[in-house]
Amino acid sequence: MHTQSLAIGYTEGRTNKVLQENINLSLSSGEIISLMGQNGVGKTTFIKTLSGLHKGISGSVYHQGRLIDEISKSFLAKQISVVLTEKPFAAHLSVIELIALGRHPYSNWLGQLSTSDKQAIDLAISHTNIDYLASKKLYQLSDGQFQKVMIARALAQETDLIILDEPTAHLDLSNKIEIMLLLKSIAGSGKGVLIATHDLQVSLQLSDRLWLFNFNQPVLDGCPEDLILQGAIDQTLFPINNNIDLTTGTVKRLDEHKGNVLLQGDPTMVHWTTQALQRNGYAVNKDTPTSITINCLDCLWKLESKDISTSFDSIENLLIHLK
Amino acid sequence: MITQYFDTSIKKWRQLFVGLGLLLLVLFALNISLGSVAIPLSSVIDFILLRPPIDNSWHLIMAKFRLPKALTATLVGGGLGICGLQMQTLFRNPMAGPFILGISSGSGLGVALVIFLGVEAGLLFELSGIARSWIMVCAAALGSFGVLLAIILASVRLKDSVTLLILGLMLGAASSALISILQYFSQATNIQAYMMWSFGSLGSLSWNELMIFSVIIIIGMIMSIGLSKSLNALLLGANYAESMGVDLKIIRVMIIINTSLLAGTITAFCGPIAFFGLVMPHIARMLFNTTNHLLLTPLIILIGGILMLLFDTVSQLPGIEATLPINAVTALLGAPFVLYLLLRKRNVHYTFDK
Repeated sequence: MHTQSLAIGYTEGRTNKVLQENINLSLSSGEIISLMGQNGVGKTTFIKTLSGLHKGISGSVYHQGRLIDEISKSFLAKQISVVLTEKPFAAHLSVIELIALGRHPYSNWLGQLSTSDKQAIDLAISHTNIDYLASKKLYQLSDGQFQKVMIARALAQETDLIILDEPTAHLDLSNKIEIMLLLKSIAGSGKGVLIATHDLQVSLQLSDRLWLFNFNQPVLDGCPEDLILQGAIDQTLFPINNNIDLTTGTVKRLDEHKGNVLLQGDPTMVHWTTQALQRNGYAVNKDTPTSITINCLDCLWKLESKDISTSFDSIENLLIHLK
Repeated sequence: MITQYFDTSIKKWRQLFVGLGLLLLVLFALNISLGSVAIPLSSVIDFILLRPPIDNSWHLIMAKFRLPKALTATLVGGGLGICGLQMQTLFRNPMAGPFILGISSGSGLGVALVIFLGVEAGLLFELSGIARSWIMVCAAALGSFGVLLAIILASVRLKDSVTLLILGLMLGAASSALISILQYFSQATNIQAYMMWSFGSLGSLSWNELMIFSVIIIIGMIMSIGLSKSLNALLLGANYAESMGVDLKIIRVMIIINTSLLAGTITAFCGPIAFFGLVMPHIARMLFNTTNHLLLTPLIILIGGILMLLFDTVSQLPGIEATLPINAVTALLGAPFVLYLLLRKRNVHYTFDK
């Protein structure tokens, strides 16, 4: 699939509101690509345009060399499947019935399932490891389980390309990673996977390529690590510098500055003590001598300043003393 | 595993359908047997099996009145139920019913115009009974299909289903307002004639009318079964349905034509039977615990027929000379039934909200 000088947006009355223009991107099978950008930059619109649910303003989307507008809806349904943020209007639907809906493009006019349909459903269920959910009703599922079920439905549709809109939103970190690993294994099985997401760390680690959308700027396309080194991710996702370490997503330091501390000792203890000290406005050195030195070892913090030496048994007590 | 899951469920559903079919037959016979003149069930069975009659007057009652009424009730019950089901899925709204798009108000307006203006012109009461009933049917049909036409034209242009819903409500409100104005300026007898129509009636169809009526309703029912696959996809939302190859524009227009045809025809022949179509899908979903339209559509055709036969039997219990208006009976008996189901289930998940 590729796009050629595509412009996306929507029509308001007689005027076109363009969100992104001159998009030239391509996605091939076996690839997993993350689409990132701030809210309102046009990620969902782009996804809908790619999957034929929304009309682009100008330019074209090609799928397997054919213009998407010229492919019939029923044929397109066998090429592209989607996982959207919409919730179904039927909590009484069972998981297996929902996954079976993915066979819609293949089943006969009554929607009856053939043997090959049932095999595809079986495969989708085993690939996503949700055998234990099969007979549950949708209202009994957690958000993470629901997302897996929706991915299984897309798999049952047997398409070359799966497009997902924020599949990991509202999920906890372990579920996020689980979903992303699942998507990576789906890409590994030869399908193209495109994910619109806000989860920087997880998608940096697992995507083959990143597409970055920014307001009034050309779309960026590249290997995640290249984009980090070029500073493109900082510009796109964090235009206002909030003292964030952009690549790890951690807060670097706050504005107030109370002094310098030399911190030494056990690496794990040093790591968490550093975070606590930085939160409280201290800059931490690992080697340059300063007026305050802290040695941490065996869950004891030994503080030395101006010839006075004090020991603490917790970070909390250490912080109370420093204040 | 999947094959096994589907096979056991197919067996279960097959048994249920056979059971409901038998229940429908029993209630059908019961409905023919009970009424102001009670006819023994043995004679009813003789009559249905086309055996020579024992009592000619009973035979006449059954052939001219009871059988057409029982057939009408069966078709009306199922027809209204599937209209409600399709509207609820299309608009993703459990409060939608067959008349949500203003179809009953449209036919009400047609009937009101005929009654109030026709009487003013001195035409209506000069006609014989049969011609008069045909005029009423045509007026109701014209009214409902007028509204239908407006809705279909709008549905081709509008992208959003909810906008369509609001349009239907507005058309309904405008028709109701015109009916009020007509009533305000007419005499008491005409208002009574209009009121009688609005109570609904299952027993006013002659065999000729029933022929046309049943052909249209059965076509509508077959079309509904054909629409079930797309309706199932619509459960996931318009975007998902489209991504699975449903041509949204065509399917939406087809659903609207189908429900309007069913609801419009039923209203034209039997008057506005309001409550039934709204609650039938809920009853079916709660009783059978499924949202699959391929199952729900035939289920509703069966239990809609069963319940309508039951309500009609109640509305003319033996010993009472007069027949209660069917509109009142359906709501009077249907509402407690729905309440019972709701309370028994405690947590009904209509939407996805937990």
